[in-house]
Amino acid sequence: MTRPRADASGPAGEPAGPPRVEMTGIVKRFGDVVANDAADLALAAGEIHALVGENGAGKSTLMSVLYGLLSPDAGEIRVDGRPVTFRSPVEAVGAGMGMVHQAFRLFPSMTVAENVVYRAETRGTAGLLDRRAAVTAVQDLSERYGLKVDPRARVRTLSVGVLQRVEILKALHREAQVLILDEPTAVLTPQETRLLFDVLRGLRDAGRTVVIVTHKLGEVLELSDNVTVLRDGRTVARLVTGETTGAEIARHMTGRAVDLDGRYVPGAPAEAMLRVDGLTVGPPTGRPVVDDVSLSVRSGEIVGIAGVAGNGQVELLEAIAGLRPARSGSIRVGTVPVEALPAGRRREVGIAYIPEDRAATGSAVAASVADNLAVGFHRRSPLRRGWRLDRRAVRTHARQIIEHFDIKVSSPAVPAGTLSGGNLQKLVVGREMAHDAPVLLVDQPTRGVDIGAIENIHARLRAYRDAGHAVLLASAELSELMALSDRLLVMFGGRVVAEFARSEATEENVGLAMAGIPATASAQGAGA
Amino acid sequence: MTTPTAPPVATPAARVRGVLRSPVFLSVVGALLIGSVMLLGAGGNPIEAYAAMVEGAFGSTQWRNTLIVAVPVVGMALAVAVPLRAGVVNLGGEGQIVLGGITAAVVAATVPLPMPVSLVAALAAGALAGALLGTVPAVLENRLGVPLLVSSLLISYPVVAFASYLVRFPLRDPGTGLPQSRVFDEAYRMPVFAGVGLSALILLVVIVLVVQVDSRTPFGYEVRLTGHNRRFTEYAGVDVPRMVTRLMFTGGGIAGLVGAMVVLSVPYRYIDGALVVPGYTWTGLLAALLARAHPLGAVAAGVFFAALQVGGFGMERETEVPRELSSILQATVIVILAAAVAATARRTRKDRA
Repeated sequence: MTRPRADASGPAGEPAGPPRVEMTGIVKRFGDVVANDAADLALAAGEIHALVGENGAGKSTLMSVLYGLLSPDAGEIRVDGRPVTFRSPVEAVGAGMGMVHQAFRLFPSMTVAENVVYRAETRGTAGLLDRRAAVTAVQDLSERYGLKVDPRARVRTLSVGVLQRVEILKALHREAQVLILDEPTAVLTPQETRLLFDVLRGLRDAGRTVVIVTHKLGEVLELSDNVTVLRDGRTVARLVTGETTGAEIARHMTGRAVDLDGRYVPGAPAEAMLRVDGLTVGPPTGRPVVDDVSLSVRSGEIVGIAGVAGNGQVELLEAIAGLRPARSGSIRVGTVPVEALPAGRRREVGIAYIPEDRAATGSAVAASVADNLAVGFHRRSPLRRGWRLDRRAVRTHARQIIEHFDIKVSSPAVPAGTLSGGNLQKLVVGREMAHDAPVLLVDQPTRGVDIGAIENIHARLRAYRDAGHAVLLASAELSELMALSDRLLVMFGGRVVAEFARSEATEENVGLAMAGIPATASAQGAGA
Repeated sequence: MTTPTAPPVATPAARVRGVLRSPVFLSVVGALLIGSVMLLGAGGNPIEAYAAMVEGAFGSTQWRNTLIVAVPVVGMALAVAVPLRAGVVNLGGEGQIVLGGITAAVVAATVPLPMPVSLVAALAAGALAGALLGTVPAVLENRLGVPLLVSSLLISYPVVAFASYLVRFPLRDPGTGLPQSRVFDEAYRMPVFAGVGLSALILLVVIVLVVQVDSRTPFGYEVRLTGHNRRFTEYAGVDVPRMVTRLMFTGGGIAGLVGAMVVLSVPYRYIDGALVVPGYTWTGLLAALLARAHPLGAVAAGVFFAALQVGGFGMERETEVPRELSSILQATVIVILAAAVAATARRTRKDRA
């Protein structure tokens, strides 16, 4: 059996059955960063197990070790009591592991059935793929577990919720006994989430083991039987869900008592600074991804955009920033129309942008921290002197932002890719705020960063607003929007479907609007 | 003086370790070892062969030959490296060098001008022709989405064929049976000072300019960042399509200049195939890839490959070893380098997964 760890808060509950999977003392380092430091996990047959922790606590690393994507530096994995070593996902799959990643790994141009049986095909005569057998197999599985999917549909044509079902079918087709789902609800509407939960409960009742990796406490409490909490790469608590509370789990996750509610501080809005009118974005023909959106943001105001991922939020911000062509509509900064200007000119007029993906868009990770911080400042004084870029000024500029935004880095000369997620995010936030632009577009400012950085970035955003700037903030975290926004818009299917004053916005009525259910008149009691 | 992208100041020992572990060093040493094994297998003496090769490349008068070959190779390496710095692959060097060469030849054969003006005119015409040809694939990609990699390569074939036509018919020297132009007037001959051709001096100026722009200017900074992550510079408001056009203009211009300089040097006539057959473009491409688009690195790699080729001739004269060994070494360097870089990338990816 597992032994309690000295630094753990004690094993509050042991899994019901014999452990199907037992991971003990898993250590995984990336250079100087310890992602897993003696992490333990025990999974029983017929349970739904929640693996929770702050971003960066080592959840994904631990699951990658279990799925054979990473090999641990130390520690042991046992499956049904026997020690195993997975050198690749193929071996892990052979031992009954199955994983549904956040980003789906499917062939868009092929059918559901072809995707499901890929690499586990039934072969017919002459070794050819037996399509009929594939379709039958998928139908059997989807009926048995209530995963409604048309096996002949092309994957390209399916919605995210259905794609996820295809991924689950894929794992089941390979007879996965342990099904790992990484943040499974991040891309789902509340309705799709409910369907998914029913499926997962069915799998549990059929004796399979389900692991959900998440940081959403509501889901943990609703769905799971047992909880393992990771913090700083260690297992700090194992809890029986029925015997614990959200507050207790949160305390284990952060290592301190946490105020689960945001601390909203109202701003003092002045005149409108950013005005968007009838903005439509999308291919010249076909469905627009941003559909006739009008909004305005005043100086000294944070306007939040809520919505399930993929409802046009990213495209809206990119179109305002000038990174994506608009089909029609007007955009004004103050009194200046900018819709005809290229991105670089819009920045000069006064739009700064903190993008969703700090590594793919917001920085060049192979370049130095100083080079990353100089972007946008490099064509004017003091960084530019005559025809030259003044290297000393570039370093000074970098040091100022590093100091002011408390970025932890040994020297401005190290590559930006060596920074932790939170520090790289602070680099992007710091650079964009240093422009002091009257309009700041912000997308997912705290995704995947630790709680200290979250508080830091939230405080910065409020201070930026209070300095008289207009902030347009898109976030998938409703709690973040509640903590920051003075006004809240909800996007669904590319349209702004609801608007709430801060005083009217509740998790309930915003959540309903996110699901595309029209808000009935005002906000009160919409969840009856 | 460290650039903003330089790693933190390292101790000399650490720096030496870094060089010894670098893929470039490993690939050169690995190639020499594999070459030795082949020589031993064929009954040759590797030490003797390599010594003859070094002597053949850098011996008392041999360095002049190396320099003559190095000018086009290094020039073509820059023609690739300049756009490659931003991640743009210019495969159209062959068309650009040929068009530069034939344009200079046309000027030399048809426009009588006095001495310094003549050379300036011919070189400028050649460079401009190459630059404009380089711009075509960039515009096609920016406007129509035609992949630059493909169009730059394909556009070369008709250009090479057209130059071949010109030298076989309108420009042909009727006095010989060969597809070559007449010998140019005195005014169109590149001078040589103490064994160093004017071509080498001009190329030196080009190298200095490229290095300065690359390392010192805001434009060079944008180019390097674009090479790291194009999405990032686009997000930051840089007009990347315009940058691509400028880089291809420059790269094509350098290639055109190289073609003009080669044609206006010994034997002072345009000979069909003279710019294609020696493979300057492809050797230059390899040099630029070997240096991963770093301008000075590309220059060094270009000199290295030129020395390999010229040294190969010396080796063949002095020993029994055929000069094909040079090609083997060059190819082996590239193969090992590609493997080493891929292995490093995979290790890094796996660590960060």
